[in-house]
Amino acid sequence: MSADPRRADIDRRVLEWMRESRWSYSEKRFEELALELFAFQFEHCEIYRRFCDGRSQTPSNVKTWRQIPAVPTSALKEVELRCFPASDTVHRFRTSGTSSDVRGTLYLDTLELYEASLLPTFRRFMFPEFLLPEDRAAIQVLTPSPIEQPDSSLSHMFGVVLDALGEQGSDFAVENGELLFDRVLTVLVESAASEMPITLCGTAFAFVHLIDHMSQRGVLIGLPPASRIMETGGFKGRSREVPRTELYAELKRVLGIPAERIVNQYGMTELGSQFYDSVICGPSEPRRKLGPPWARVVIVDPETGHEAATGQVGSIVVVDLANTGSVLALRTGDLGRAILDGFEVIGREPGADARGCSIGADEILDRSSP
Amino acid sequence: MTSDEIAENFSRLRDAGERLKRRPIGEVLEVLGAVLERWRDPNSVWRRDLEDRLPAATGFTAPMIGEGLKRALGDWTSDALRELAIRELGPIDPPGSASDRRISGFDTTAVLLAGSIPMPSLLALIAPLAVRSPVLAKAASRDPLTPHLVAQSIAEADAELGRCIRVVDFTAANEDCTRALLAADCICATGSDATIATVQSQVRPPRRLVVDGHRLSIAAVVPPESAERRIELAERLAVDIALWDQLGCLSPIAVFAVDPEPAHAAALAEAIAAALANAEENWPRGSIDASTAHEIAQQRAEAELRRAAGRAVEIHASDATAWTVIVEDGPEPRPAPLHRFIRIVPVPDPRRLLEAIHPFAAHLAAVAIEGFGEETTGLAHALANLGASRVCAPGSLQSPPLDWRHAGRGVLAPLARFSDIEAIA
Repeated sequence: MSADPRRADIDRRVLEWMRESRWSYSEKRFEELALELFAFQFEHCEIYRRFCDGRSQTPSNVKTWRQIPAVPTSALKEVELRCFPASDTVHRFRTSGTSSDVRGTLYLDTLELYEASLLPTFRRFMFPEFLLPEDRAAIQVLTPSPIEQPDSSLSHMFGVVLDALGEQGSDFAVENGELLFDRVLTVLVESAASEMPITLCGTAFAFVHLIDHMSQRGVLIGLPPASRIMETGGFKGRSREVPRTELYAELKRVLGIPAERIVNQYGMTELGSQFYDSVICGPSEPRRKLGPPWARVVIVDPETGHEAATGQVGSIVVVDLANTGSVLALRTGDLGRAILDGFEVIGREPGADARGCSIGADEILDRSSP
Repeated sequence: MTSDEIAENFSRLRDAGERLKRRPIGEVLEVLGAVLERWRDPNSVWRRDLEDRLPAATGFTAPMIGEGLKRALGDWTSDALRELAIRELGPIDPPGSASDRRISGFDTTAVLLAGSIPMPSLLALIAPLAVRSPVLAKAASRDPLTPHLVAQSIAEADAELGRCIRVVDFTAANEDCTRALLAADCICATGSDATIATVQSQVRPPRRLVVDGHRLSIAAVVPPESAERRIELAERLAVDIALWDQLGCLSPIAVFAVDPEPAHAAALAEAIAAALANAEENWPRGSIDASTAHEIAQQRAEAELRRAAGRAVEIHASDATAWTVIVEDGPEPRPAPLHRFIRIVPVPDPRRLLEAIHPFAAHLAAVAIEGFGEETTGLAHALANLGASRVCAPGSLQSPPLDWRHAGRGVLAPLARFSDIEAIA
């Protein structure tokens, strides 16, 4: 918990929301917390204050959370945005990128909100059928562990997920930079034979490696019907780009998991919360990205800076109450479109910087590709 | 469009090319010169048709197109074409002698057009004909209009020459058609580095391949101390930036302000911002998609944050995304969203300028320079050594002479076959 009493109070109230067993998407509650957090960050992050002053958007005239000035996620490569003394830093997450790239850094003085946010969200969108706190699932993660990649927020997230939701045998399937194909295939074959469903998590490119490996060996596995996949990240200049529809078709071919049970997660290092495809929690509804009540998305018309009209493609801006120690409003490098109560990601603008953590893991996997 | 139709086009072009080969180059140049004169004439039916229809085809605004064509085609005269031919090919149709140089075009030339600016398309279609090669052109997806109009204007001027040019439309994803087009004896391809790499992988000697990949231009100026001269320079730079919405390889993506005093760069930026605001009044920027607008907004916000972090960054911008001027505090390369988005980069002296340019020198097309006094010639030579194929004055970037050696090579010579027939006893 933060040493600053005002921040500690905000943290406490956000944590309270995150720990509620039933989600309430209260606009009023979000508005109050967001504006309070904005005022706190305006006061305690000098760079952000100057940024807001430059736009003449300050706590005195910002009246709704939708007006909170959003900083571009790409700028974290060049500036440090934090609302606490540097000496209080307990963890750093770094954005992905090749060795020649400048990588952005998110500084944290607590992991409490990050972890409190990710877990119920993952559970809600990946395992909506779980009723009891002790419910567990068999999970294999196709990324390095947080021990191997301590600055990867994705690895950290999966570490928390495995600890809280993984049943015995659940594990990371990348060690020393190599995807452990044999181990993964053994686990998958066992799952198919025992008819015990399994959940696979990883970057989109890790799944491409797995598909390639299985295809080259002529291995096709029919996983039990309740099995599911969570994939995240794009291809970001990788040697191969596979359109998502093609990726999902291949996953169905080699693993027997249909698109309706493949969830794309939209997250990034700079965000404490994540958004997930709705396909498992709302199978009869249109596929769209949904998030927890404490993180909201607004699609902004890049020409005017105002909220885009319904259905109009615009910049995805995320306002995330889990980001109490940095900046809560972030303008991502992605374009999107609002759909019902959620949104879809249209893609990244040309020349956009790499997002998320997948390329870090992917670089390693690329070297171990068959 | 199918690959069979492309093959059929080639077959017809070869037949027409046989007759073209028998015509004197001078006669062909005369026809093409007359065509150029029609395109130069703002009242010609072709020019009017292009100006009327290009906004819908490309998204450029009509006033900008009118100004851009006026400035670009002003010196593209029939005489300029003849002088270009003499410079690159030698004397035109010299009287026969025992010692001779024969110039012939390839049996077929394929031209893959790119981008949305009409002048490169005009020249790309005329050049193969000037060396007497029939030409099959693939129109660019971003300008499906210009090549068809050019082909029609040639046919109107000379029906036989008109039979030597065909324009086809198909998408880049149509691999069969692309492969069929690349079966030509000479291929001229313009496009992204990825497009060029694809073409290069499919074309092998002895077929001739002439390629133009992505290129960019810059300006490097010593900011004038006098406000009057600063404003005048800024207005010329604004012309270079605004015309064709910065989408051409001759559009500057950055202005290097060469001066030990960074405040002079800031003053120049202010003047350029005012000039770009005027340009927007006179020649409004064209439409852009959400992705481009997003990139402009993102780059502006990044600059705002750098400024907020205490760096000496200044931002001048229109309310929406019509134009943006950002004064940077360092020479590191940054994204160029184009569409009238310019960075002003202060560097203290010409040596630092050359160091700053070095990382992207391989992609350099033109550099506009001014204010270097006695150092001008030395700087121009240094820029040429770095790879710039054109060094000119600010305000003239968008008006290249017809004989500018684009990409550092000739216009006609790369498309010709030369045969030296020596004196034989």
